[in-house]
Amino acid sequence: MAGPVADTREISGSDLISALHLAQQAPAILGQASRSGDTPNSSDTADYYARLEQLLLACLRTGDDQSAQTCLNRLSLRFGPSNERIMGLRGLYEEATAKDQPALEKCLQEYDNTLSQSPVNVPILKRRVALLRSLNRPSDAISGLIQLLDAIPTDAEAWCELADLYQSQGLGSQAIFSLEEALLIAPNSWNIHSRLGELLYICASEGDASRLLGRSVQHFSRSIELCDDYLRGFYGLTLASTRMLDNDYAGVSGQLPKKTLERLKAFALLKLGEIVESRSVDDQHWASSRSELIAAKELLNRQ
Amino acid sequence: MAIQGAEQTILRDPALFYWILFPISIVMILTGILRHYATVLMNNAPKSASTLAESRERLALLRGVNLRNNACSVLDRESFEMRKNYMVTGFRNGAFLKDPNNRGQPPANPMTDPAGMEAMMGMLKGNMMMMIPQTLIMSWINAFFSGFVILKLPFPLTIRFKSMLQSGVMTRDLDVQWVSSLSWYFLNLMGLQSVFGFILGSDNAANQMAQQMGMANPAAMVNPLQPGQDPDKLYLNEAENLEVMEHFCILDGVEERILQNFAPAGI
Repeated sequence: MAGPVADTREISGSDLISALHLAQQAPAILGQASRSGDTPNSSDTADYYARLEQLLLACLRTGDDQSAQTCLNRLSLRFGPSNERIMGLRGLYEEATAKDQPALEKCLQEYDNTLSQSPVNVPILKRRVALLRSLNRPSDAISGLIQLLDAIPTDAEAWCELADLYQSQGLGSQAIFSLEEALLIAPNSWNIHSRLGELLYICASEGDASRLLGRSVQHFSRSIELCDDYLRGFYGLTLASTRMLDNDYAGVSGQLPKKTLERLKAFALLKLGEIVESRSVDDQHWASSRSELIAAKELLNRQ
Repeated sequence: MAIQGAEQTILRDPALFYWILFPISIVMILTGILRHYATVLMNNAPKSASTLAESRERLALLRGVNLRNNACSVLDRESFEMRKNYMVTGFRNGAFLKDPNNRGQPPANPMTDPAGMEAMMGMLKGNMMMMIPQTLIMSWINAFFSGFVILKLPFPLTIRFKSMLQSGVMTRDLDVQWVSSLSWYFLNLMGLQSVFGFILGSDNAANQMAQQMGMANPAAMVNPLQPGQDPDKLYLNEAENLEVMEHFCILDGVEERILQNFAPAGI
């Protein structure tokens, strides 16, 4: 019994392969509960329900709708169908199993109905934004998200989503603003720091390039300072410092001197090499970030 | 006067032990457990905001605090000034208030405000849960067991402990080692916490689930405003805090720092 539990924790579940691994454990996890059904206390822990929720998400991604339905039923049996989080999960399930466009529209209708009754139902508010986005109505999604953030400005997840939406619409500076807000809530998250670095790097093609690139290097450096083997951070640092050197921004008004930039680039390349080497050996463990690894290898070959 | 150094001996019926010491201890433990479950039952989750404006009124303050605490690790001077100006103007104008028109008026009486009433009711219920069983058991012990000396501590104590260990027994000369029934009740009342922790699992076992499901909803998670508190005052306070803030940025020189701390010497 301990085996699948430990595995569930280890796999991050952010890519399809590990989601599939997770979903394949459905019979084990769901069966475990029915076996110990005569002693409800043993399975009635927060841990168990958190796992059920994870399993529900994984099953939906991999198309195992039946197991997903079972998970959802167990959750709503325990917490009641009017629990906000359960409502959000049910909405997710309906969306995932919707056959065509009109079915999705119907989901949207339902969300609007729910929200007119309880306007601060956060999971449903978020589902509505996600649904608008998948219905290809990004401007509606953005305005919905702004409305949500106006009421709940301390939600880092929503700020990140807003940044992503803005970026997809080509509104770089708004996206940067949103990510900065997310960072103000979670100042030590190295992944958001490096994401902000990426955004700044992308935006640097227009306008105030040297300043934006300088800030991009700073944020990549900060993400490395916070997590000293973060692949994306080193990758970004390599790219950003290379571009600064190529465009001769070094030494321009308040920027880093050329020597420091060269040292930064050499350091980033060195670390990238080390990381790629060590992770290629332990391939299975890093399966979820395989695409990043390939990109890093490709960058190293180019240099 | 008790003879110093000489051992006092009192002939006690051994039945005192079984009929007073044990019952008091067991009753205390059982009421403790009962009280725990009663609290869990009657404890309802803090009410989450019912409208978007209300939620904004609560969380805008947190946003200001976040900006003040974390700006140094994220923002450069320009974007910090921009945000600071926005927050300060918002706080000063009352733009984040639930209804800006009521600004400056004295806060509603918490007795008439239903939300405040509910919070006070919750506090009252918690207090009642402590008070009622205590009064009952105390009077029960007073009625049945007052005046019994039930226990002799195996170690000597100074005279200061007399009032703690011998309440209800008005003998001046009795050695401090003897414990009266009423004092045994008090000792139980204060000292059983660790026993409850052992039995009920560190006191949180029953509440954990409610917390976990509440986590998904950041609007319900925190309410920095106490009932009856005027958000406008807090806002003005926060605006002042933001105004006087010195800006610095730990991103300045971060490149040198990582080269120094993480890079090998040769680079």
